[in-house]
Amino acid sequence: MFSHLFTGRLKCLLRNKTVLFWTLLFPMLLSTLFFFALGSITEKTESFSTIPVSVVENDAYRQNQWVQEVLKQVSQGDDPLLALSVNTQEEAQNLLREGRIDGYLVPGDPFELVVKQSGINQSILKAFIDELMQTQKTVERIVTATHGAVPSGLLDSLADRESYVKEISPTGKNPDTILNYFYALIAMTCLYSSFWGLEIITGIQGNLSSLGARRGLAPTHKLKGVLADFCAAVVVQFVILCIVIAYMDFVLGVNFGDKIGFMLITCLVGSVMGVSLGGFISAIIKKGEGVKVAVLIMVSMLLSFLSGLMMAEIKDLVATNMPLLAYLNPANLIADSFYSLYFYDTLTRFGLNTAILCGMTMALCVATYFLVRRQKYASV
Amino acid sequence: MIKSENKTREEHTMVIKVENLVKRYGDLLALDHFRLEVEQGEIFGLLGPNGSGKTTAINCILSLLKYDKGTVELFGKPMRPDAYDLKRKIGVVMQNVAVFEEMTVQENVDYFCGLYVTDKASRRQLVDEAIRFVGLEEFRKFRPKKLSGGLLRRLNIACGIAHKPKLIIMDEPTVAVDPQSRNSILEGILELNRQGATVVYTSHYMEEIEQLCTRIAIMDRGKTVASGTKEQLKAMIRGGESVTVELYLLPKDQLAQIRSLPHVAAADYQDNKLTVRYTGGKHNLIRLLDYLKSQELSFGKVYSELPTLNDVFLEITGKQLRD
Repeated sequence: MFSHLFTGRLKCLLRNKTVLFWTLLFPMLLSTLFFFALGSITEKTESFSTIPVSVVENDAYRQNQWVQEVLKQVSQGDDPLLALSVNTQEEAQNLLREGRIDGYLVPGDPFELVVKQSGINQSILKAFIDELMQTQKTVERIVTATHGAVPSGLLDSLADRESYVKEISPTGKNPDTILNYFYALIAMTCLYSSFWGLEIITGIQGNLSSLGARRGLAPTHKLKGVLADFCAAVVVQFVILCIVIAYMDFVLGVNFGDKIGFMLITCLVGSVMGVSLGGFISAIIKKGEGVKVAVLIMVSMLLSFLSGLMMAEIKDLVATNMPLLAYLNPANLIADSFYSLYFYDTLTRFGLNTAILCGMTMALCVATYFLVRRQKYASV
Repeated sequence: MIKSENKTREEHTMVIKVENLVKRYGDLLALDHFRLEVEQGEIFGLLGPNGSGKTTAINCILSLLKYDKGTVELFGKPMRPDAYDLKRKIGVVMQNVAVFEEMTVQENVDYFCGLYVTDKASRRQLVDEAIRFVGLEEFRKFRPKKLSGGLLRRLNIACGIAHKPKLIIMDEPTVAVDPQSRNSILEGILELNRQGATVVYTSHYMEEIEQLCTRIAIMDRGKTVASGTKEQLKAMIRGGESVTVELYLLPKDQLAQIRSLPHVAAADYQDNKLTVRYTGGKHNLIRLLDYLKSQELSFGKVYSELPTLNDVFLEITGKQLRD
């Protein structure tokens, strides 16, 4: 009997084009949109490309060994800050005019930076020059204070600019706020499975659907029917999530880390959570299906918003100012689980998120059971 | 001893026994000490205007709805939501079509039949029979939205009867159905009854009830106001047949004489039509025509109408069935 109910519901779910669009195609479309919209932001704001720059070889440059050493250091290595060329002033002007460099440096007092336009690279160059000048002044003060006796290794350490260009994460992963958007999108997809849950609970209530009445007349325990429907919905949603994640990973190149097994657990828990949430809303709202759907959309959108789907900063804002809300928001917990799996080496945070999600799911299922059991049909 | 045997036989043949059923929706009394007895093999009609409590009664009988007072017994056992052995014997055709939009005709019938019959081979046979029975063989692979209203109703019936129930409850199955499909549905109900099913049929279409049912209960304001065979019901009222005759001329004296004929309750002459209503009696039409001939009054068409269930309802409740 269970398999009969399960396969019947599975057929219905897989043929429900409207809900399939919202749970499968819509997240894929939205992730593609994110990829193009946020990918360009990443390139402009977060991707750190080497800045082509020229330095004018004048007397001040030739006499200042320290500056030469610093510029040499920041132009070396796998991921250098500057692509430096040493030219005459005239050559540097030509290079700038032709757009082959973002600016050129004129050593002296003060150290000058000449640029053609403002931009990220130009701002970085300005910040670099300012720090260079500040360090030079510091060296001069130390030399004056020590009457020319410079402590050994000082110049080397001051010239060392490695930390300026390379940030090393303690977990070996780069923190990436853009990933949050994709993780929040997956969380939203999980919450969209609440539509399945809504359909299931509405479908067993005789006062809300003729199908509910007909199924209520069958010699089958109501709970068995609900369980079969629930399992079918979770299976469909789990597969949908796997497809969405595979699309993000293999097509869009979103980084999910390498903990595949735990990711699948998150997908499963998220699916169960979503279906349970839909069932609970269907049971607690004593209105027609239209009202229930409207409430469900509002709730899932609000929870997704608070998990950083529209603005990544919101997630941090909620976590900082309203930590309880962050822990009660299933969308946030799902998104955070994915981020934890990507960023942290340990599973502590992932485990906490999953445990809370499981607890909430359990509570919603129990509440739904009692709400549906207690319901008296007004009219069929 | 004989009394006890009679009682046992009565219990065995009684498919539905409802006593003093009371159902309230807040201040509204939907069922007012409603009583019903349906015997095995009957096509029992539950007739009443919209809002008279027919669907509420059916839902209470089926334990879809909780009631405030009374008892419901099906096949001699109390009916409860978890009385699965009883539910297995019941088939229901709801007023609203209850099928899955995402499944084909065949899949829908199979799904609902599968709620009662677990053996796949038996089920396949039952599903085929049900589809054939409602004449949907050509539409097996069709989804419900591709079916017309009449065909959809037939699918609704197939889903309700595929498992060959002993008791079939049909709640207004012909609402919004074209005449061709309606006839097909009514024929089908008679066939199901011939095959041994007891049928409870609710409707506010008195013609259908008259055509189908062996016994009828008329409901109003949540209670049974009259019950019996249609002949018994019609015999309950004072009004008998009504005769209409096209007459080109009828002097007042003759009209007065007609009013004095035996069993005449009233006689009116308007627009060249004489209408005579009788309280009962036999050979009223012949007697009237003989009188007209004796008076050398030439007449055209003649109509005779027997009292309808609507007349029964009108006389008992003071209102029309289709109010």
